[in-house]
Amino acid sequence: MNDILLLIGRSLRVAIRQPVAILPNIAISVFFLFVYNSGLSSVAELPGFQGTYLGFILPVSLVSASVGGAGLAGQTLVKDLENGYFTKLLLTPTRRLALIWGPMVASAIILTGQVVLVMLLALVMGLKVAAGPIGFALVVVLAFLWGMAFAGYAAFMALKTKNAAAAQAATFAFFPLIFLSYTFVPQEYVTAGWLRVAATINPTTYVFDSMRSLLNTGWDATSLLVGFAVTFGFATVTGIMALWAARGVTKMTS
Amino acid sequence: MGAHNGEDRSITAEGMRRDFGALHAVDGVDLEIPGGRIFGFLGPNGAGKSTLVKILTTILNPTAGRATVAGYDVQKQGGKVREAIGVALQDVGLDPLMTARELLMLQAELFGTPRDEARKTAERLLVTVGLDDVDPKKRAGAYSGGMRRRLDLALALVHDPRILFLDEPTTGLDPASRAAIWEEVRRLNDELGMTIFLTTQYLEEADRLADEIAIINKGRIVAQGTPSDLKREVGDEVVELQFASSEDAASADHALAAVAPNRQVGGGELRLYFARAAENVPELVRALDGAGIRLQGLTIEQPSLDDVFLRVTGEALEHEVNEAGDEGSASPASSDLDAPPGNDDRAEVTS
Repeated sequence: MNDILLLIGRSLRVAIRQPVAILPNIAISVFFLFVYNSGLSSVAELPGFQGTYLGFILPVSLVSASVGGAGLAGQTLVKDLENGYFTKLLLTPTRRLALIWGPMVASAIILTGQVVLVMLLALVMGLKVAAGPIGFALVVVLAFLWGMAFAGYAAFMALKTKNAAAAQAATFAFFPLIFLSYTFVPQEYVTAGWLRVAATINPTTYVFDSMRSLLNTGWDATSLLVGFAVTFGFATVTGIMALWAARGVTKMTS
Repeated sequence: MGAHNGEDRSITAEGMRRDFGALHAVDGVDLEIPGGRIFGFLGPNGAGKSTLVKILTTILNPTAGRATVAGYDVQKQGGKVREAIGVALQDVGLDPLMTARELLMLQAELFGTPRDEARKTAERLLVTVGLDDVDPKKRAGAYSGGMRRRLDLALALVHDPRILFLDEPTTGLDPASRAAIWEEVRRLNDELGMTIFLTTQYLEEADRLADEIAIINKGRIVAQGTPSDLKREVGDEVVELQFASSEDAASADHALAAVAPNRQVGGGELRLYFARAAENVPELVRALDGAGIRLQGLTIEQPSLDDVFLRVTGEALEHEVNEAGDEGSASPASSDLDAPPGNDDRAEVTS
């Protein structure tokens, strides 16, 4: 455990030294929140809409923060691979798992900080969390886990391509993940069949649902269970992919 | 010897092979290196030196063969091997955003050293490699090539390894940095009894540091022994003739074919191998006079590792001290450390 903590600490320290890698992501999340909330808030006046549009659009901003923030894990790994520091770490008795988890958890911690910041901003803008403080905390936990899942994907792409540009390009998965869903209006107002199919396949839809239920309608066990199950499932799959890619990079037998 | 007395510091390899597609980067290498020695692994670029180091340090799996380091199998007991070895690879791997102290402390802690101890280790090693007076806030990314090498060496030493692998530790360094690293390597071996596996393309480095040398070419070991044994095997004395131009040297090569059957021409120099060199000098001078070629200098030397390399591979190993120097453009004579091997044995004869 100690080696993972050491490597998380190191990744955090390095990330803080290059704020330029973090700040744009916060700016995009805040931009989403302001622009969509002020531009589309009349959606909340549609018949059958529950809660506020701020509570509806906030998860888009949060998932954007978590997906964008998770890309940091990939960037850290690519830089380490490119400058040879990854090999230096490989030459220590550190577990291979720790080498991958260090940057992954560090980026998830940073993105959680961003998520909390955006949520506090939303509170200032008048957000009332239907499920109360525990609901607030669960939204943060969901964003953290979703970030870990995407960090696994970013780490996998970094380890597979070993190339900064390719790893950066991989974060374009951000767009279909966020926008091929019921991003701006509730499901019942989406008529395009293809978008409904895409949204059903897109795991982000279930994260949006869970967060929106906590923020706008209160406790909904089914929505929460599905949201957490999908997130855990996605994180497990990407985590295994990252470890598998790490084996390829390290060529290790023990 | 030293702090780890009684522990295994040996390196062995048996039929070690590593292929990259059709290329046999390491092609059947056998090694038997007893503990406590400085072993020089000498060869040109692409000979397979770095690949072998990567296999022995557990970073790369071999295609075939078996190797043990510190008594542990490199494939089956990689973790044990890594605990016993320190490694400074040719491509220095440092996080440019971290300071030297941070890098050293993290490395020490990853080897299980408690934090307070790791801090002391970092300070001690910074003194050892002469980086203690560098601004503590300076990040590794702002270090010069020589400083990076020294820091990398310090990183390899955080856990007092029994065996140290140095892959071309002085390539591209200026004479002062090279001297500092040589001195430290000697000290580690003398005082701590550390086995040192050193790859180099510098003949003089191998000659000066190594107790034993293996010469690798195209993935195979082509000669092995102590530097003096290897030179003795060449057996001959060498007459080196210096000319004003490479054209003159080429003409001399042609003109002296009958007098000296074993010759090597390179640049403005011609090297001739004789059983007893001095006896042949008058005839050489006469032959050159007869051909109208002006001689600029003549030296008689003991054979060098250059000559050994030429003999066993049929190819000359370039004299990198002058040519590789990213930072070191000094002439061989500018520093004692840069002098060609066998310099002490040199008998100068003016023409």
